[in-house]
Amino acid sequence: MTALLSAEGITKSFGATRVIEGIALSIAPGEPVGLFGPNGSGKTTLVNILSGLLFPDAGTVRFEGKEITRLPIDARYRLGVARTFQIPHPYPALSVHEALRVALAADPGNRSAGEGARGDEEGAIEDLLARTGLFNQRLVPCALLSQGCLRRLEFARAFACRPKLLILDEVFSALSALDEKELLDLLLAANRDDGTAFLLVSHNPPLLKSLCRRILVLEEGRIVRERRV
Amino acid sequence: MLPSFRGGWPAAGIGLLLLFPLSSPDAFFLDVFTTGFLLAAFAASWDVVGGIAGQVTLGHALPFGAAAYACALLTSLAGWPLPLAVAAAILLAAAVGAGVGTLSAPLSGPFVALLTLALGEIAHEAAAGNTFFSGPGGYAWGGEGGIPVALPWQDAPPFASYYVALCFLCLASFAMLRFSRSGAGLILRAVAGSPITAQASGVPIARFKRLAFTVGSAFAGATGAGFAIHVGRATATDLSLELSFQAATFAAVGGRGTIVGPVVAALVLHVLFQGLSLPPAARVLLYALTLMVTLRFFPGGVVGTVREAAWRVRWKNGTGSFRRRGRGRPGEGGS
Repeated sequence: MTALLSAEGITKSFGATRVIEGIALSIAPGEPVGLFGPNGSGKTTLVNILSGLLFPDAGTVRFEGKEITRLPIDARYRLGVARTFQIPHPYPALSVHEALRVALAADPGNRSAGEGARGDEEGAIEDLLARTGLFNQRLVPCALLSQGCLRRLEFARAFACRPKLLILDEVFSALSALDEKELLDLLLAANRDDGTAFLLVSHNPPLLKSLCRRILVLEEGRIVRERRV
Repeated sequence: MLPSFRGGWPAAGIGLLLLFPLSSPDAFFLDVFTTGFLLAAFAASWDVVGGIAGQVTLGHALPFGAAAYACALLTSLAGWPLPLAVAAAILLAAAVGAGVGTLSAPLSGPFVALLTLALGEIAHEAAAGNTFFSGPGGYAWGGEGGIPVALPWQDAPPFASYYVALCFLCLASFAMLRFSRSGAGLILRAVAGSPITAQASGVPIARFKRLAFTVGSAFAGATGAGFAIHVGRATATDLSLELSFQAATFAAVGGRGTIVGPVVAALVLHVLFQGLSLPPAARVLLYALTLMVTLRFFPGGVVGTVREAAWRVRWKNGTGSFRRRGRGRPGEGGS
């Protein structure tokens, strides 16, 4: 079966420091994969390269068999590769509803199809708000959201492109138990019901074991172990 | 009962401005207001780029001056009819904006300001220091004296200029407000708020930054052409850093990203400082003081600060941790 996302020989340096070297990995459609590693092991750099925020110095990234190594993050989002950030960067002056309108506008169908699509867009926003439990906060400016709501908004934003692959960077850190449970349920439901694959970066081995089928261990910029759960 | 802010106050303000010439004011005051209307439209056009899209430009006088010079050259040298020259000038300004937007798209924050400052100053120095053409009768065109605009009329009555400028301000402000509230305007506000999240939401931010520069510059160009027509010539001052800085100041004082705020701030400050017939040095000092006081006490500008305060009052109960309210559905409580 063709891998959903594959990477080969990924190498990246910042100045004289080589952060990751020769990384190869592949994620199958619908597969939940974990990425574990100590601080400074290169997890975020790898995630940035896979999501298109950074380009590698060497190596290739393919999505559904097509090379996307130099494709920027916005184009990858439109292909169905969505990511969340370890620290959310909300739009301070926009409401939750408006933030989701921005994410849905990335869909060329929504952007150009006029009033009919506008109705569909409202329906899609309501669905995202309901799924992520943000309906009551839909008109609240993002600057006033709590950390838990910001994480929910990150999920809603990622789900807006109907992703085939979600890349989640430390998404469950600094959350209340209730927020963590609800977001875990949301992620599992997306994986189970929509067949959304995900790459979850975390420092929490029990969490990774409970969610992922495969865990990649990154140390000093190299994948040193791969563990099947 | 007072009219609501959204519709009533702007209508009341426009009504007062429409009635003002009927009070037989001095021609000087009519001119001060006419220039104020054009400056207000220019400040709003800066706000499209620097406020809504968050690309703080210090070279916004470049499209303004380019359009003023295009209008002057096309009418005086090429003999084009005025409306055609104005249309061409606006297109040129939009093209200049697209070029600046393309150059600045990979940059952010202070680097955008520095690049636009440099581009604007290159144009200003080139216009101020060079005599481009020798016009009819052996007069030198260009340099500090500028280039005259060939107008199809002579000595337009001051109230006519006043009403045309007011009409232009209303139409341009309305168009810019509509743009800021459109889907493209929403995306630009997202780009201004968090470029990285906008990109991660599928927004090609370079294209939208270029769009903001193009649209803002087109309106700046329309204002520049109007200003050249009003004063009868295009001069190097139309490309000056002082003009760009003035627009940025009006936006900062009125409230960046609000369009209405910069328009009101430009009108009030220009009419107040110019109407008092203060020497230029005193006016610059007053502008600087107003900016400092605003940034200290109203960092979001007057309109921005009022809007933020209203948000906080409205959502003061929504800032705590997420409270379980079930999977909310349309029509179920909430806000």
